[in-house]
Amino acid sequence: MCHQTVSLAARHLEQNGIITVVMGCAKDIVEYCGVPRFLFSDFPLGNAAGRPRDPQSQRFTLELALRLLGAAPAPRTTVQSPLRWSDDPSWKLDYSNIERLPPDEIRWRRQEFDRQKEIAREVRDQIASP
Amino acid sequence: MSRANEGFGYAPEEDAPIPYMHRIREYYLALGYRSPYRWAHYTEVPFQPMDKPLAESRVALITTAALYQPGKGDQGPGAPYNAAAKFYTVYSGDGAVDHDVRISHLGIDRVHTTAEDSNTWFPLPQLRRCGAAGLIGEMAPRFHGLPTNRSHRTTIEIDCPELLARCQADRVDAAILVAN
Repeated sequence: MCHQTVSLAARHLEQNGIITVVMGCAKDIVEYCGVPRFLFSDFPLGNAAGRPRDPQSQRFTLELALRLLGAAPAPRTTVQSPLRWSDDPSWKLDYSNIERLPPDEIRWRRQEFDRQKEIAREVRDQIASP
Repeated sequence: MSRANEGFGYAPEEDAPIPYMHRIREYYLALGYRSPYRWAHYTEVPFQPMDKPLAESRVALITTAALYQPGKGDQGPGAPYNAAAKFYTVYSGDGAVDHDVRISHLGIDRVHTTAEDSNTWFPLPQLRRCGAAGLIGEMAPRFHGLPTNRSHRTTIEIDCPELLARCQADRVDAAILVAN
């Protein structure tokens, strides 16, 4: 959801004269929405600005995004960062992969999802009627 | 990989960007939710060419991270998903100082990362450094926090215009939007 929200915001800013670049890790979601410029890092969600405890990768990633602002020749310009999360790509098989979850875990996650949704609704309601 | 294609140095098949939309669709179907989520999708994409050098531009940072909220449960590092830490209106913060922002309210990869270093999702200190080094003209006076809402209508009709108004008030030329 987060990548989609950011993509919609980038489109709105760009339509109104502010140039934008999205930094993200979910390539399909951003490109399906369609944004002017996108720096894609093939990292686990939560690391769009570089590797943890690695200031050099964080610096490189932000500077690449800044360069993309001026360098993109057309909308839907995606640049993939050359940085790698790990030499072992097996981490990519885990996120929300139903084939890797046992039935008990799926049942628990359903309960947990409903519970968190209810919490979110309460937070929203409190804001609406303080 | 078929035997005929061995020896070309190809990467493993799974070493490609994760197909999140497919994964998430299958995931929620398996959890019992029968109506697949409708993702935002456009064929036309706006584009504004840069009309002045980056070194003369004012750049703002947009984040989906939330300011740390004491009393709202575990917000990390290593926190499980925490909907109590969500926020529902655009907020802004002083770009000149550091802030404690967290991402426990977002669907990050909790198996392979722990949210221990906010510089991986909130590059405000890096952007400040770029301003001081002259890579950009200057950093905008404020960064902005953008709520992630399941409702497209809320995002498009309320949150995006509010974000634009704040960027325009700060006379921003360019924005970096960091997703989580």
